Amino acid sequence: MSPDVKLLDVNNVAIGIERRKRETLVLVREANFDINYGEMVGIVGESGSGKTMICRAIIGTLERRGASVIGGEVLFEGLDLRTITEAKWKTLRGKVIGYVPQSALAGPNPVLTIEKQLAEALSQVEGTGSMKNRSKELLDLVKIRRVDTVMKQYPYQLSGGMRQRVMIACALASKPKLLIADEPTTGLDVTVQSQIMELLREIRRDLGTAIILISHDLALVDEVCDKIVVMHAGATVEVGPTASMAKPRHPYTVALNSSRIDVAKPGGELLTIKGNPPSVGQWNPGCRFAERCDYVQQDCLVGDHPALSGKKGEHQSACLHADKIGKN
Amino acid sequence: MEVENVSVTFGSGATAVEAVKNCSLTLHEGEPIGIVGESGSGKSTLARVMAGLQPPSAGQIRFRGDNVFKGNKSFQSGNRNQVQMVFQDPYGSLNPQLNGLSAVAEAVRIHSKVGKDEAEQKALELLERMGIGKLDALKRPRQLSGGQRQRVSVARALSANPTVLLADEPTSAIDQSAQAQLLKLFLGLLNDGLAIVLVSHDLGVIRYLTKRVYVMKDGVFVESGDTETVFNDPQEDYTKMLLASIPGELGKAARAKLKR
Amino acid sequence: MSKKVKKVRPEGTLGIIIGASLMGSLLLAGLLIPWFGKFDANEISSDQLLSPSGTHYFGTDMLGRDVFARVFDAVFIDIGTAFAGVLIPLTVGTIVGTLLGISRNRRVNSFVGSLIDGINAFPFLIFVIALVAFLGAGLSSIILALSLVNWARYARIARTRAVVVNQQGYVEAARTLGYKPSRILFRHIIPNVSSETRAYALSDFTIVIIAVAALSFLGLGVNPPQAEWGAMIKDGATIITLAWWNAVFPGLAICWAGISVAVFSEGLTKRIGEGNQQ
Repeated sequence: MSPDVKLLDVNNVAIGIERRKRETLVLVREANFDINYGEMVGIVGESGSGKTMICRAIIGTLERRGASVIGGEVLFEGLDLRTITEAKWKTLRGKVIGYVPQSALAGPNPVLTIEKQLAEALSQVEGTGSMKNRSKELLDLVKIRRVDTVMKQYPYQLSGGMRQRVMIACALASKPKLLIADEPTTGLDVTVQSQIMELLREIRRDLGTAIILISHDLALVDEVCDKIVVMHAGATVEVGPTASMAKPRHPYTVALNSSRIDVAKPGGELLTIKGNPPSVGQWNPGCRFAERCDYVQQDCLVGDHPALSGKKGEHQSACLHADKIGKN
Repeated sequence: MEVENVSVTFGSGATAVEAVKNCSLTLHEGEPIGIVGESGSGKSTLARVMAGLQPPSAGQIRFRGDNVFKGNKSFQSGNRNQVQMVFQDPYGSLNPQLNGLSAVAEAVRIHSKVGKDEAEQKALELLERMGIGKLDALKRPRQLSGGQRQRVSVARALSANPTVLLADEPTSAIDQSAQAQLLKLFLGLLNDGLAIVLVSHDLGVIRYLTKRVYVMKDGVFVESGDTETVFNDPQEDYTKMLLASIPGELGKAARAKLKR
Repeated sequence: MSKKVKKVRPEGTLGIIIGASLMGSLLLAGLLIPWFGKFDANEISSDQLLSPSGTHYFGTDMLGRDVFARVFDAVFIDIGTAFAGVLIPLTVGTIVGTLLGISRNRRVNSFVGSLIDGINAFPFLIFVIALVAFLGAGLSSIILALSLVNWARYARIARTRAVVVNQQGYVEAARTLGYKPSRILFRHIIPNVSSETRAYALSDFTIVIIAVAALSFLGLGVNPPQAEWGAMIKDGATIITLAWWNAVFPGLAICWAGISVAVFSEGLTKRIGEGNQQ
């Protein structure tokens, strides 16, 4: 494989729901980012920004919701994911690309013991040794102690953090190249959150798995990721290496940064982003952040949504006036 | 408000669970305090006891000197309005059949004893203060975001003109940007003289808003004091661990200290 | 700034419109035809067992009565009875179930709870038939029997739902805000419980329509000469090979009524379902 092939390349991707006799409902307009092998990338955005939709496109579960990729390309190791058949998806999903769902929403199957769940995940993959041993290894991998006890338990007997670890273990059964963690710690205590983050870091280090971390929390992503992708109203508005993102060049990122609790002074100025993210399908012409932007100019309100400047891999911003922002 | 040696036990006999063990705290007028702990620490139970929703198994709760609980009933002396609560789950806190305006107007009507139109007017004003515009006020909860729902809940609580507001993990289920909005809102309310008891597992949030904090673990207060002090010089290991878990810069600093 | 909001017809609306039109037209016919129709439903004549024609659209029965007139004369009887047979259990069951769900009184809970479970254990139709036979034939007996049996089904749904609703944040908030218990019950708890029971009522309606007709078919319903679909089918069943129109047309009417309700409730469910997806 040529060294230029990225693990994942999302190029100007648009996702929408095609409806009979109605206009296609566009959920994602321009998503743009790439991931190298072993990289940890954070995708940050508010609800409705399209971050979950992108991941569904990568894992191929868009059809189930009636959505499809209506523009751009999603290349996984050079393979265009839009064109592959369901049979091909089965070789990727859960094997080469893993998925850990939001902690609050889904979780392990409530009627199966942990042992059975792990066995189910492992049965998809070849491996050496007995199922039981392989399952124990997986639980070890996610730092669950008292492995023997846990194996026999049902999900309801475990805490939220433990359940999430089990989900991660199931996803890791096939030693995937890419792991998508969709808001893995939302709703969990901060202590558990930091443990899960530490776990993800170790997985990346020990297994070389690339990880996509979806979150609404910039502080969290800032701490653990190599690269940050910021999404707003269905478009990638800024993307770049974490270090460089400390000086954001898009008003939305600037605003997100200013609303971080961890850097605010107690009882002091806490900037908030005015307004609410535009609802899906109700996007105005021009830049979709214009309504809420502190730096808005006349040319921001017309035409197409601004495209990302610069080249992939660099610090890119989708603001017409990015250079002015960097200076502040 | 005074919480004096309060304990709360659920169940009885062999399966009894002591959620709160002998906790005491004081709340002064217009003061922001925080109760921080993980899930299962008993902090939500304590908050509910303070709100008069759950009688303590032992100990007393006093509001302005009066006992809150007489037998199993709370706030019999007409102080019910004074202590209000905002709950954790924005999705369940609002009646799905009422839009924001109706929910708040109902509360206003009952507490201010005004007519329907006047109540709606006041409700709109309150919602405006919370950053919920007229259009959004007419939406049903399922059409609003988590942050917006929380703000409607706060508006509803405020219509009772309380002197104490208990907030149980108000920011846990919402986006970072919505969190910032909500906290800023609380800050404004503090400036208006409202006392706030903030219950959370996130010390970052506690630090931003409160002047004093009680650290709770397994039903007991393990450490308490001025927020600034507890932050910079934590005494207990548990507190140190909580500090180290805060995402972002604060956590980093705490972890660095731990290593030394 | 103009918001491009496309007004699209929500899913399920078609079902609602079709269902409502079908039922509406049936009810309208039931209102107008007895008034303006050519023949009186109970007018006996010597034109017995005539097949459908230009004069007698649905033919005539054994006593020379116009089947067309009779079918539509029965509309309000059948549908009205079914309506009462749903409304009463719905109201009673919802209230009792809700009160049970929020009550903390152990004894009341287990007593009434057992009663509900006991009634629900019996097969619906058999229990109703037995009760009507006991009470004596007639429409009021049918309504009474239906109510006595069916309320328990609604109560079970209401109780389960009430337990959940009672623990919801907004109910706790209402208590914290010091609302009176009656207000909390009637403004907050019951509306959210009845959403479930009302949904059940729609599907129940179809079943009850058929049950009413079935009871009359067994001779437990209206007294002759009142026209009623079930009774007409019973009379027509014996001569079905000779004069099929006697049984078929009332049967079609029952189907029409049942299908209209079913289509309506499907559409309604879809409509509400789409809203819930947001």
